[in-house]
Amino acid sequence: MGTFEVFDHTADVGLRVRGESLEDLLATAARATFDQMLEDWPAEVAVEEDVSAVPSEAIGPDLAEAFVDWLQELLYRFETARLVPLQYAFTAAGPAGIKARVGFGRFESGRHRTRLEVKAVTYHELDVHREPDGKWTARFILDV
Amino acid sequence: MSEAGPYRGPLEDIGGYRYRIPKSYKHGMRVDGIIYADAKLIEQIRHDSAPEQVANVACLPGIQRASFAMPDIHWGYGFPIGGVAATDPAQGGVISPGGVGYDINCGVRLIRSDLTLADVKDRVEALMTELFAHIPCGVGVGGPIKFAHQQMRKILSEGTRYMVQEGYGWSEDVDRTEAGGCLDGADPAACSKHAYDRGEDQVGTLGAGNHFLEMQVVDEIYDEAAAKAFGVAEGGVTFMIHCGSRGFGHQVCDDSLKTMRGAARKYGFDLPDEQLCCAPVESPEGRQYLAAMRAAANYAWANRQLLMVLVRKAVAGVFGRSAEQLGMHLVYDVAHNIAKMEPHTIDGRTVSVCVHRKGATRAFPAGHPEVPAVYRAVGQPVLIPGDMGRYSFLLAGMPAAMEETFGSVCHGAGRAMSRHEAGRRVRGEDVRRDLAAHGVFVLARSWKGLAEEYSGAYKDVADVVDVVDRAGLARKVCRLRPLGVIKG
Repeated sequence: MGTFEVFDHTADVGLRVRGESLEDLLATAARATFDQMLEDWPAEVAVEEDVSAVPSEAIGPDLAEAFVDWLQELLYRFETARLVPLQYAFTAAGPAGIKARVGFGRFESGRHRTRLEVKAVTYHELDVHREPDGKWTARFILDV
Repeated sequence: MSEAGPYRGPLEDIGGYRYRIPKSYKHGMRVDGIIYADAKLIEQIRHDSAPEQVANVACLPGIQRASFAMPDIHWGYGFPIGGVAATDPAQGGVISPGGVGYDINCGVRLIRSDLTLADVKDRVEALMTELFAHIPCGVGVGGPIKFAHQQMRKILSEGTRYMVQEGYGWSEDVDRTEAGGCLDGADPAACSKHAYDRGEDQVGTLGAGNHFLEMQVVDEIYDEAAAKAFGVAEGGVTFMIHCGSRGFGHQVCDDSLKTMRGAARKYGFDLPDEQLCCAPVESPEGRQYLAAMRAAANYAWANRQLLMVLVRKAVAGVFGRSAEQLGMHLVYDVAHNIAKMEPHTIDGRTVSVCVHRKGATRAFPAGHPEVPAVYRAVGQPVLIPGDMGRYSFLLAGMPAAMEETFGSVCHGAGRAMSRHEAGRRVRGEDVRRDLAAHGVFVLARSWKGLAEEYSGAYKDVADVVDVVDRAGLARKVCRLRPLGVIKG
């Protein structure tokens, strides 16, 4: 299970995330992002969906873009269907793209307390890399 | 304050509340950087790397005059918040989504009324409770109306005009909105399905973060003639809305950044920050972004228009009189995250430049044809929100803004402290109690969100507007003190 911490950014929120593997990093980054948005989480998985994040053709294989796109796809599901990611089964994770079967809980306004609205995951000073010890680290800023 | 650390480069005091970063400071700068500030604010500004970002923006192809920054400048992503940059397409000028931001056409609108402090002082709680019940706000809260795809296309191409035509508001509202609440050249087809999906149930929603609805009282007048023209008088009650294009705009920005990251490589731009990615205005990528950004801007104007309709309805309900009878006229609506093609005079020639205002407000002076006829003699109303514990300001545009900053001034107080730090220092429940003790009634969806927005986290907006007033970019018209606040 990965860990995360918030770092200071004047108007927005910076996150530093660590994971045992790239998959663990991606799941932890999602948890860290939604932790900024929610104070209460849905207790159980209500629906499963495939989530796919593939870098655009203009860029080509790019782990940073796949990482941003992965989190953006999850934010999209929250905004459009009020779904909160809880469980992950990855089938691909790398610069060519990220694919996962995600178990979502349902957010209920009025029942689940909220905190910040995350507008987007930014590319500003974005860094995703593997450490010499084989663990993974990401550093990114959320526009809130 | 930030990981990037304090700025250690040059900031030359050139007088008149202007500080210069000479273009010799950094390889690639095409123009100087100019920051508007006084001695006190410039010390705060040095504390993070925002001045470095002013220098980075000065590197953009086709930039004209200077890379400008307002006294509320702080570190953003790529562009600083509080930055103004105009580029000339004829000289390879670029457009950058980072120079607009994720919340495309985030902006402010001010509604006046015939109500006075005496009318509302014993009913603030009832009024704010009614408004809180009518105004959708907070995370994961949809709007009052879900617009079908065809209606969305109309909103994206016509903005406020479509909303008024559909019965949401009064025809005069159009004239009292920057650009008439509609940027021409918006293309609904340039926006992704994701954007439509995110935006379809968010028209008429406030959102969260620093967005708000306030009921205010005019407590100081600095310019009687302009105040009269704007329809405000001491003791009068006003309503201020601050929000933008919601998930629709955020998605347009995100989609565009992907394209622009590729474009920056294609056109061989060597950029100091990925988030500054851009394309020539006159390129397929530039035109595509402009068309989508304009659609998102129109969405934002439709959003603030519907929010205003909800405010008028709620207030009218409490007083048992119509919004017309209460004189709830829109004073003005300004965008402060936007890029617009505007004619400006450069070296004696009229040039159509792409003006990026990232956390900066348009401030056109008296006589400018884009200032509504009712205000043309005094200048465009400029709305500068402060923090929820102190005050906001109404200003009027001045000629120096046209001569220097492409008709732009500041947009708010600017944060003095990170959200994280604010959350460590105060609790939302205490913020609410303290504000109540000072006569400000607050309703919020989130205690943590409220704590992060407390007054102490912001610079004093009076310091910020004093700089733009003394620098001659705009002049103060009146001060607005909050009576009630709604936060998402």
